[in-house]
Amino acid sequence: MELLHDPELESFRKEIRAFIDEVLPAEMKARQRTKVQNNATIQDQQEWMRILNGHGRAVAHWPKEYGGCDWTPQQLFIFNEELYAADAPEFDWGGTHMLGPVLYTFGSEALRERFLPMIRNGETYWAQGFSEPGSGSDLASLRTSAELVGDKYIVNGQKIWTSGAAHARWGFFLVRTDKTVKPQKGISFLIIDMASPGVTVRQIPQINGEAHLCEVFLDNVEVPADQLVGEPGMGWTYAKFLLEHERTTSSFIYWSKRELERAKEIARHERVGGRRVCDDPAYRARFARVQADLIALEWSVLRVLAHEETGFPEAAAASVLKIRGSELQQEITMLQLDALGAKSLRYYEPGPEAPTPSADWAEHVPGRTTIALITRAATIYGGTKQVQKNILAKLAYGL
Amino acid sequence: MDFAKSDIQTMLLDSAERLLADSSGVEYWRERRHDPLGFDEGRWAQFAELGWLALPLPEAAGGLDGTIEDVALLNIALGKSLATEPYVSSVVLASQILRQAADRGRADALMGEIASGTLRVALAHQEPGADPLSTEAVVTVARRTADGFVLTGAKLMAADAPSAAQLILSARIEDEDGVALFLVPADADGLTVDAYPLIDGTRAADIRLTNVALSADALLIGSNRGEAVLDEAIHRAGVALMAQAVGAMEACIRICGDYARERKQFGAAIGSFQAIQHILADMFVATHQARSMLYHAIANSNRPAAERAAALSAARIVIGEAGQLVSRSGIQVHGGYGLTDEYAVSHYFRRLMSLEKQYGDLVRHTERFGDSLFA
Repeated sequence: MELLHDPELESFRKEIRAFIDEVLPAEMKARQRTKVQNNATIQDQQEWMRILNGHGRAVAHWPKEYGGCDWTPQQLFIFNEELYAADAPEFDWGGTHMLGPVLYTFGSEALRERFLPMIRNGETYWAQGFSEPGSGSDLASLRTSAELVGDKYIVNGQKIWTSGAAHARWGFFLVRTDKTVKPQKGISFLIIDMASPGVTVRQIPQINGEAHLCEVFLDNVEVPADQLVGEPGMGWTYAKFLLEHERTTSSFIYWSKRELERAKEIARHERVGGRRVCDDPAYRARFARVQADLIALEWSVLRVLAHEETGFPEAAAASVLKIRGSELQQEITMLQLDALGAKSLRYYEPGPEAPTPSADWAEHVPGRTTIALITRAATIYGGTKQVQKNILAKLAYGL
Repeated sequence: MDFAKSDIQTMLLDSAERLLADSSGVEYWRERRHDPLGFDEGRWAQFAELGWLALPLPEAAGGLDGTIEDVALLNIALGKSLATEPYVSSVVLASQILRQAADRGRADALMGEIASGTLRVALAHQEPGADPLSTEAVVTVARRTADGFVLTGAKLMAADAPSAAQLILSARIEDEDGVALFLVPADADGLTVDAYPLIDGTRAADIRLTNVALSADALLIGSNRGEAVLDEAIHRAGVALMAQAVGAMEACIRICGDYARERKQFGAAIGSFQAIQHILADMFVATHQARSMLYHAIANSNRPAAERAAALSAARIVIGEAGQLVSRSGIQVHGGYGLTDEYAVSHYFRRLMSLEKQYGDLVRHTERFGDSLFA
């Protein structure tokens, strides 16, 4: 074990910072900083992917043969950290971090050649069709069916909580191809063209005024059989692989670091009773605890990235990232709101452009509550916090 | 950055497992706590034989020049087994100060004695009512005389002082700025040691100095460097103590997991109840994050002083809070048995409480870290 700071990583960080500074368009950066919505616009995400792809850095974490950068885990960490710190639009995680790795690991040569370049170049936004109205935490009970008729699958069913489906040209779905076997064994992984006849998308009005999450209805949708990824009946295995492959993503570490910095700016700027919010000892102590926990989370991420031998299954360490990461996302957004006090109650219509700031209503006000409200989802999606704790009890204690 | 253990670290941990498993844990602790020193001189000699007392010391003093990571790993093992030996005060804290002393030959000789187990040295710095993270409130005074110095003052709760033959004392030299460090025999004329046990079985003492006459060579570190030297030494001691806390937590969650599998109520192991499972899951999360934060403190131990101090305080927050959560939940999982002396969890509770409050408690470290963020 040798943990002292590596000076070489600092020069890598400088190089990455300069690179982002050079290629990230100023107006895109400004939109990302001030937007009154949770995610970057799909246009910005795609345009940013194209720019990064032009420099061979769109999918840095993939194996080199598929366009990755062959960086160490620490270098990848720094790359992502700097992207968020610079207010670059986020990746389309569905494509770059979920479907991509499944495709290059299990997909046919034809599927790889067809879709990997599209993902790298941000040519489509990818919908992720996993959850169903009756299958949330109990995902294996999903009922959307895909029946093989000739060289096509006929898909029927309903998905829910599909982010950005209204703007997605393509999606990857978990569907039931065999009802006769144990639930986990009858699931397959299917790529569906969202423009196919029979696909209907309904946006769900959310707690924060946005409607990013969608319901997807599939009514006799015909899907070419060669769009089934890997083997039929292996969908559950692939979905688990995908979650395991991206064990550190659920920590939201880069996002949280950026947002905690923003909380710090707000607490320095806003004043109550003649003093800065950050000079209130109670606020400062709370901030200090969150900051310390976030540093711990960063090290926990590095440990998983380096596959540290801990004496426990690595999935247990990954559950820590998900549990603590999601809690911290919520604590950080609440630090922002509490620094704003009653100002956080003002409703702003969601959108990519921010209203013009004034002396009383600084640039950092709009958007904070919009994002804080939807961040309540962090402890629910991808396996609720309670399901994660059940998993941990099993993995770490054998209960 | 490398999380894998080196060959030397693996050997170190193997030896720790062998010795500490033989003479470890609650039974060992229960016997030792009535000893005047709170630990067994025989096992201290074994620490020396295994090279543990030489681990971080410089080669010139017969040491092994081990890294801070080596020391942390050994202390994780010591924490797991509830070791009460004054390892940190002599081998980490005092030796870190001694290696900065101007008189190298003398310092090396003293460290050589520490390495061989024949000398223990404790720091007596904290004064009644003073901020534990600052040297500003030191009022113990050293007056220069023709032969050396005369010291007068009082020190509170000097950890491990009852078993130390020599004390390192912080004092202000009259008409000088800063704080100097002196090496003083524990049996010096005019010096009293009021010893007492702490709740975790370790020992501390209040020290009173009334015109203690010292020769000139008692001055280890001059006023100009005292604060910086103390700060670094306390950082290293802090890392080692946090490592003990991490070890204690890791042992504690295993003990609680075992208990939850064995203890039956309502016709089922209590570990089958989600309410218990979620407590244990929270304990695992806290323990895992605590170890991560130990790594953070280690990684920053060669950074400039302000950065190093901020990292230490941040780590003390996470590890202190984790220690509270793990030890308190540990008792809850055990029900009434958690409050008995017979069950190990009550001993881990006491040890973790002790580790949380030494060299600045949770409140003080939270304040210092918060101030560093908005400085």
